[in-house]
Amino acid sequence: MLETDAVVPTALEPNTPPPSFFRRGGWLLLALPLWVLLYAVIQRASELIAFDWLGLMPKSHLGEAVAFFFYDAPKVLLLLTLVVFIVTFIQSFVSPTRVRDALSKRREGVGNAMAALFGILTPFCSCSAVPLFIGFLRAGVPLGVTFSFLVAAPMINEVALGMLFAMFGWKIALLYAGTGVSIAFLSGLVLGRMNMERHLEGWVQDALKAPSLGEVEEERMTLPLRIELAIQGVKEIVGKVWPYILAGICIGALIHGYVPESFMASLLGKHSWYSVPLAVLVGVPLYSNAAGVMPIVEALLGKGAALGSTLAFMMSVIGLSLPETVILRKVMRPRLIAACVGVVALGIMLVGYLFNAIL
Amino acid sequence: MLIEVFGPGCAKCQVLEKHAHQAVEQSGGNHQVVKVADYAAMAARGILSTPALALDGHIKFQGKVASSDEILALLKG
Repeated sequence: MLETDAVVPTALEPNTPPPSFFRRGGWLLLALPLWVLLYAVIQRASELIAFDWLGLMPKSHLGEAVAFFFYDAPKVLLLLTLVVFIVTFIQSFVSPTRVRDALSKRREGVGNAMAALFGILTPFCSCSAVPLFIGFLRAGVPLGVTFSFLVAAPMINEVALGMLFAMFGWKIALLYAGTGVSIAFLSGLVLGRMNMERHLEGWVQDALKAPSLGEVEEERMTLPLRIELAIQGVKEIVGKVWPYILAGICIGALIHGYVPESFMASLLGKHSWYSVPLAVLVGVPLYSNAAGVMPIVEALLGKGAALGSTLAFMMSVIGLSLPETVILRKVMRPRLIAACVGVVALGIMLVGYLFNAIL
Repeated sequence: MLIEVFGPGCAKCQVLEKHAHQAVEQSGGNHQVVKVADYAAMAARGILSTPALALDGHIKFQGKVASSDEILALLKG
């Protein structure tokens, strides 16, 4: 009896945050004003560096390119830090297991719509694509619904969405999310009707029938744990993608400084019929992180590229990537892979033409 | 105890495996680390995202690179 009495206070311990959380909390409170301060001075600082310190001429090709670089590099990194923090925090509420359970009882149609919406937020790493794919099918999620999810998860990248919102406003962000969800919804619906089950690799068909050896229990989440996850997310993602961002900014800076507007208007303008397929063709073999594309998108739009073509470019870079196709080849036979890539590429082109036509 | 690290061999999975070995070393106990790269085995165990880690057959977490301290805490149970 005495022993159980003594255990009661310690049983409450998991709910009280560990001391490191308070130290972290203090840093977080300091980090926000620092962030705002830095963000406020980068425009002036970039001009100072490019035109005063380096002595480059404003309005010259090189001057504008260098100023773009020194303005965009800190800006994109600052925005990325904030966006990743918020997104990872929200993501701690949505786990693949929960999504699977929510989708397993759904019919096609409703299921496709839900899968596409879940795809926006779900944390997704391409090396998880295979276990996720099989896990969904095993739980009775229809193949078409699984596809809607698999298309939406990489194509509507949650970080890209946050960055678009921060850099270009809610209209473009909504446009991106809305078209991404529509493409995922429709391509899942189409692929679901094509009776593609027999085009799964043999071992996958066996794995679908194999008996279950256990289930994964959900980790219990607390607020300090979510904040800790968000901080880890920032470290991991910002630490990994900064080379992509710098590369993207260099390309963006070259476009900004050197590419004439008339050239861009004829290449990616809304009146040239080939601009959308061209954007997709260039975008597919390019593999970049979502954040790395942003400076390129910024420079393209600044030079008068049409919104539809630019969105098509961005979606094909983020959503249709060769590494992912190679990974999915392990579970799908070539016919199914081809159908999958084809349907998504077609969807992206439709979106490009649609927005070029109406905006 | 038996520590199973599930992952197809991506960068994150290798980091987790390294952390598991570090935790075993720190604990000084007699634990065994096994790498499972077979997708079918992962599917049967209900794993949806990699890397995942199991202790004596129970999946402790998935889709996360746990630190060696976290794994050590699990080992001490």
